[in-house]
Amino acid sequence: MSVRSSMFFHLLKRGLLGRGNRPLIAFIALAVASTMITAMLNLYYGLESKLSHDFRSYGANITVAAAEGQSLRADAVSSVKSSLGSEAVVAPFAFAIAHTQSGAALVVAGTDMSQVQNLNRWWLVSRWPAADDEALVGEKAQSHVGISNDGFDLTYSDRKIHLKQAGTIKTGADEENRVYVPLHTFEAWTGIKPSLLEISVPGSRSSVSAAIASLQSKFPDAQVRPVRQLLETEGAVIRRMRSVMFASTLLIALTVALCVFSTLTSSVLERRRDFAVMKAIGSSQGTVSALFAGEALTIAIFAALCGYSLGSALAAWISQANFHAMVPPQFRVLPLVILASVGLAFFAALLPLAQLQRIEPAGILKGE
Amino acid sequence: MFLRLLYQSFRRQRRRKLLAGIAVTLGVAVATAMLAVGVDVGDKINRELRSYGANIVVYPEDAALDVRIGDQQVKPASAGAYLKESDLPSIKGIFWGHNILAFAPMLETQAQSQGRTIRVLGTYFDKQLHFGTDDFRTGVEKLYPHWKVDGKWPADDSTEVVLGSRLAAQLRKHAGDSIEISDRPAQVTGILTTGGSEETAVVAPLALVQQLGNSPNAADKIYLSALTKPEDAFARRNPDHMSPADRDRWYCSPYANSIAFQLGEIFPGARAEQIRQAAQNEGTVLSHISGMMLLIALAALIAAALAVSAAMATTILERRHEVGLMKSLGATASTIASLFVTEASLLALGAGLLGFALGVLIAQRIGKAVFQSAVEITPVLLPIVILLALLVTIGGSFAAIRRALKLDPVLVLRGDV
Repeated sequence: MSVRSSMFFHLLKRGLLGRGNRPLIAFIALAVASTMITAMLNLYYGLESKLSHDFRSYGANITVAAAEGQSLRADAVSSVKSSLGSEAVVAPFAFAIAHTQSGAALVVAGTDMSQVQNLNRWWLVSRWPAADDEALVGEKAQSHVGISNDGFDLTYSDRKIHLKQAGTIKTGADEENRVYVPLHTFEAWTGIKPSLLEISVPGSRSSVSAAIASLQSKFPDAQVRPVRQLLETEGAVIRRMRSVMFASTLLIALTVALCVFSTLTSSVLERRRDFAVMKAIGSSQGTVSALFAGEALTIAIFAALCGYSLGSALAAWISQANFHAMVPPQFRVLPLVILASVGLAFFAALLPLAQLQRIEPAGILKGE
Repeated sequence: MFLRLLYQSFRRQRRRKLLAGIAVTLGVAVATAMLAVGVDVGDKINRELRSYGANIVVYPEDAALDVRIGDQQVKPASAGAYLKESDLPSIKGIFWGHNILAFAPMLETQAQSQGRTIRVLGTYFDKQLHFGTDDFRTGVEKLYPHWKVDGKWPADDSTEVVLGSRLAAQLRKHAGDSIEISDRPAQVTGILTTGGSEETAVVAPLALVQQLGNSPNAADKIYLSALTKPEDAFARRNPDHMSPADRDRWYCSPYANSIAFQLGEIFPGARAEQIRQAAQNEGTVLSHISGMMLLIALAALIAAALAVSAAMATTILERRHEVGLMKSLGATASTIASLFVTEASLLALGAGLLGFALGVLIAQRIGKAVFQSAVEITPVLLPIVILLALLVTIGGSFAAIRRALKLDPVLVLRGDV
């Protein structure tokens, strides 16, 4: 190592460590900027999964309906589960029209209670059935079934069943007209197999489309359809929120960049004496610029790393507070943040240097 | 002397003042834009969520049980109990009538066509109604934006109909064909895709279905889309058991429950209920989105405050010499401080106003670009933002002024510090 370059590193070290709080201020400014940018980018990238998770509470986004008058294969539920993974919720439904003791017709549905409870969380159910002979009775159906203390009877083509009421359902839609029975009780009673699957697939629109394609190939005779109403609303809301987040990220990044810029520029300007002395004793313009740039670079990288961890924590906290679920740190944000931090520091350091170049060292040293 | 110093400071140090001014302007602009967007985004997303469809339904109290499996129905939905079509316009007259974005009646009947029994649904497509001095249009086109017609929508006062896509395939009919519905001629203007059970039905103007079913002025159900506030514990309480003050507050909040209650008041013998799938879930999405935007607006506010105070601090530290000179000429610390604070306040006021205007512009651009509608700016925002600008500018200057005042004028003027 030549004398020249060892001197360069000595000066760089002194510039970083031995100059009071000036590098510290630059570091803090850059770290704050990196924190903000990281937090916003993390939220921006994490938003879609959080929102689409919220939309899953609307229930099924795909339905598989058997051809009219037919039912689905016996292994339908397990084969859907195996092809869509464990995160998909699959609720089978079988329907029959039964008669009450007074002779009124009503729809009875057999379903997997635990899946439905998971899928349709908006159902207002006073108590879910625990035993096989317990049923959920729709609010409007209640007065028609004629419930006494020990339950009620329903008849399906001369086969009678005695059921107890576990609770009522309120939804504001068709479900209120029906009686829901555990699926195996229903099958044993009517002999009818499920004809409809309601499926909730997590993830973005493309994963829903992929799921539809794979289901259609599994059930060539059935109608596999997306719940368009839901997918369109979800798509529109997510698209708009992404744009809003993008605009917010830009605005916030602009503000913190401004903050860093004004801090760094003035800290370089304050060191014009160092600059002048170095030039006066014969160092070239390139060496001086390299020294300042090296200082800026070192500070910027450390500030970016520090800001990345703080920003990821901030984003995680915001999403925890708001969505009750963490946004995991996104590693693709890291290079962006380092780039932004280094770019900002470089620009903020070199711009005033270019200004200083035009001034004679003697003028600066005299104090003009 | 004070005023002259103040004046000279703005006149002489134009570059420095300009830099600080730009910092304050941009900071205030970003804070204003983010606050405006953050506050308004909830309302915008609420409207977006309403594209999901109806969230409130009104039906006759003693309607018969719906016996329907998927697309098949055993008997007509209601036997004798109907809502009156003539009551419909007064929906706009309820307390939260303004929040009702769209509504459409539904009347179902069965008819014969080409030797088979088909379902016929009567509704409004885009019907012109008026209530009081108000003219408005409403119907399924607005209520269900996801309904797609291949062809064109029928007119409400005609014998035009749309065919559900699955029924059209069975009947082998296309847009432009004519069809006989129980011996009445009708024109098919389009094929309807909804993703729901309407695809197996004929959807026709309400008046036509009333004639078919011989039930003048009748409707089975009314579906409404209303802007509502996310439900909380208070919304779920029963208004019958509330104190008068609580009841007023409940009645005057746009909860799905209270809007349904007000609808029940104008349709005698009817019940109005929230459709829980729509009403419950949009609340979750909405509260999450507005919560996050407010947190982000807060973060933007902090970033802006940091930027402004950093800019102020550097401009003052650059003026150490001035402070040293004034001190050595006998100015007291409080005189110097008040000079700087006045400067900062003037800057905050001027640049703050400019920044507010710029922020409003930015917010409008975001609103137009993302939501195709203007962002509503509450007038309260102006004093809040200016006050914040003043606080941050003065606060940012203060620490720097104190540091500058602590320095020994001798050292400063010699250039040692």
